[in-house]
Amino acid sequence: MHPARLLAALVIAAAAPAFAAGDAAAGKTKVFQCQGCHGISDWKTAFPEVYRVPKLGGQKPAYLVAALKAYKKGERDFATMRAMVADMSDKDMEDIAAYYGAQAVTTAERK
Amino acid sequence: MMKIRVLVLALAVCAAPAAYAASGDASVGKKKSAPCAACHGAEGVSASPEFPNLAGQYADYLETSLKHYKNGKRKNPIMAEQVKNLSSKDMMDLAAFFASQRGLQIKY
Repeated sequence: MHPARLLAALVIAAAAPAFAAGDAAAGKTKVFQCQGCHGISDWKTAFPEVYRVPKLGGQKPAYLVAALKAYKKGERDFATMRAMVADMSDKDMEDIAAYYGAQAVTTAERK
Repeated sequence: MMKIRVLVLALAVCAAPAAYAASGDASVGKKKSAPCAACHGAEGVSASPEFPNLAGQYADYLETSLKHYKNGKRKNPIMAEQVKNLSSKDMMDLAAFFASQRGLQIKY
């Protein structure tokens, strides 16, 4: 690893806020609004750009929480997701992230 | 008459759907992916809980995300630095490479 990159990674790791593990079972009851887009294979956004919405199954829960918080803080600019997170508590985010991250991705074999 | 034919042809070309998603080259992307591997894993499965898995993600989503880091629609100091010198072609190739790995899934 390049020293600068290692340093950057260490700084990020050290600065990362304490991450509380969510409750996947509770999360399952909170994802009904997510499923309309993220639960459908090849579902695309239509505005303002067209691309497939990301797959969430097997994603890192801490990353998912960080992404949801970034929408809430305005660090990610996408109106639909900002509306989705507007009324989410930190606990909601942690639970939803735990639900989607429950099936951890551990292999990276070629298809 | 000729002019109309040319016009019709031009309209037909314009109406043809733009090449869908990224037309990146996964094998080229693999060669460009060394800097990504430090955080996201050599094949897109991150070793750290803080960094997202990229393996199996949709290529057009990955490409859009990289563009957003570059144009500021997504604000993240680490990624802003990483994408600074990436061309559109680089982004497409990287997206194609990580999308070609097995990993993330649709979860309903």
